[in-house]
Amino acid sequence: MLKSLKITAAVALTALTLPAWAEDHTIGALFPLSGPNAVYGDVFMAGSDLAVEHINADGMLSGPMSIAYEDSQGLPQPAVVGMTKLVNVTGVPYTLSAFTGVSKAISTIGQRSQVVAVNGGGVGPDLAALGEYFWNVIPLVNLEVRAVVPYLTGEMGLKKMVLVYIDDPFGQAIESELETAFEGSDAELAEVLSVPVTAQQFSGVAAKVRSAKPDVVFVASYGAQQIQIVKQLRDNGVDAQIVSYSGYITPDALALPESDGMIVTGQAVDYASEDPVTKRFVTDFKARFDKDPTAYNVNYYNATLLYGLLAAALEKDGTEVTGENLLAKRLEMKTFDLVGGTVSFQDNGTLLSPIEVKQIKGGATETLDTVEIGG
Amino acid sequence: MLAIQLAITGLQTGALYALTAVGFSLIFGSTRIFHFAHGAAFVIAAYFFYAAFGAGWGVIPAIAASAFGAVAFGLLLDRLVYVPIQRHEGSFFTVFVASFGVGIAVQNVIGMIFGRGYVTVNTTLSRSVEVIPEVYVSPLAWIAIACAAIFLGALGFFLKRTHTGMALRALADNPELVRTFGLNPRTIQAAAFAIGSVIVVPAAIITSATTGLSPAIGHHVMLISLAATIVGGIGSIPGTMLAGVMLGLAESLALLIVDTQWTEAVTFAILFAFIIIRPSGLLGRATAH
Repeated sequence: MLKSLKITAAVALTALTLPAWAEDHTIGALFPLSGPNAVYGDVFMAGSDLAVEHINADGMLSGPMSIAYEDSQGLPQPAVVGMTKLVNVTGVPYTLSAFTGVSKAISTIGQRSQVVAVNGGGVGPDLAALGEYFWNVIPLVNLEVRAVVPYLTGEMGLKKMVLVYIDDPFGQAIESELETAFEGSDAELAEVLSVPVTAQQFSGVAAKVRSAKPDVVFVASYGAQQIQIVKQLRDNGVDAQIVSYSGYITPDALALPESDGMIVTGQAVDYASEDPVTKRFVTDFKARFDKDPTAYNVNYYNATLLYGLLAAALEKDGTEVTGENLLAKRLEMKTFDLVGGTVSFQDNGTLLSPIEVKQIKGGATETLDTVEIGG
Repeated sequence: MLAIQLAITGLQTGALYALTAVGFSLIFGSTRIFHFAHGAAFVIAAYFFYAAFGAGWGVIPAIAASAFGAVAFGLLLDRLVYVPIQRHEGSFFTVFVASFGVGIAVQNVIGMIFGRGYVTVNTTLSRSVEVIPEVYVSPLAWIAIACAAIFLGALGFFLKRTHTGMALRALADNPELVRTFGLNPRTIQAAAFAIGSVIVVPAAIITSATTGLSPAIGHHVMLISLAATIVGGIGSIPGTMLAGVMLGLAESLALLIVDTQWTEAVTFAILFAFIIIRPSGLLGRATAH
């Protein structure tokens, strides 16, 4: 009797324990997988998929980890549909996000449902204020503007700027940051020209830029559109210095001959670092994709690895992996070993990073200056 | 000078809009098929040229490859999708949904083959030169305007002076009457798809060098085609040509008055104005119901 009771108890305990022990870990991702911004989806997935591969190979979690991808198209409306599905149907505790408009649109669902959303691609400054469940593993564009404007007006002596920006929350944020950056300086933001999200013809815009006779033109858009703007500015006789932000550093844009000589900014990542996480990432990325990683690859690798670190710590404590517990664990752990070194989040859930001012030459970027940004 | 610059830019844009829209108008006007996949024909023509030119085929073989791709797509779509639907029930809505689906499928297939990013054909012809002080024009602008004049003139001649052209116009008026004259409406419909598809080729090639390409460009092409067809008058080829040029000019010259963000809205403001004030379009025939 006692023996059968022991067996029954053992079976019952095993049955209770096994599902938790062998739990599959699925996180969500809202990336542009179709439409004019689809090229970003490929770049983001290269980073996140590699992190999943590493997490599973290391047996970091009790069960296999996977990512449920939803196509946001880089637009808020499809992103909200995708986020609703991830939260209510797939039941993810953690999701990767990209693009400013998308991130702002889904953040309320994340906050309401206590699902963590981590952005590694959108750079609108508003993304630092989307609530405790929205984190950024990328420095936001206000930091890039703060780094590049003094460089342009000081080092390069370019005093008259025209801004061409996409008419959406991201573009509007850049305009606001630039106006602030030029206040009280001897340089001027001579003209601001906004373009609709769907616009593809910019020869008229180029004519207006040319008539303003600027020293420098800031292009603030993304996806295929930003490349079209740069090409059409050059094709239509604009020979002023062109400058853009980290979103311009994509394979398509770098390959464009008209991009040569452009100034761009981006987060500084020490790819030559000897720390094991960075070294493994760089080695495996090059082996798998036969090219050097970009900051976007790093960001989504880090965002995915961050989940692995937090979920592993929760499992070690015997705590359920939920959005609420992931947030509590992040606040408790404070520092994380990610690609680029040991990092910590600011109180607003955003990582700080130095900003590099770079120049595009021959399809690659060369660093001109590295600017340390205070919190 | 800005006005002159914008007028020339608008003419170039308008020429491309006209070349793009006329194909759609011809197909829709003669067959009453809402060929949403016309944007896909544009994408195929552009990417065929991009691939052939990039492979070192030279300009003429690349243009031939582009024309082959567009015409083959138009004919296959007609034969394999539209004709079977028309044979069974042929409702306008079913045909539209099928065409829409094909457009999305083509976008994804192109994305799989060529990548989903931005590509462009690099040529010095897209570089503008200063023709008079502060007015820049690229050689491609003149080529676009010349292509529009030649192609649209040839299309007008074809429709008025050839048997197939007259049959196409007759098909638009009365398909049953066409049959009584011993002509096969299916064959004439196939001709409409072949001609409507091939006429986007110059616009697709010039766009690949000026604006650049992405697999998703077809939707924008379709929007412009639809707007020009309605503004020009449904079924009116000269009206669509005129509307295409007018929309391009309006979009560009609007920059003299409104902010740059409103240029696309100008196109649709004109469209709505015509729908409300002159529903038959610029040169369309008014119909009584």
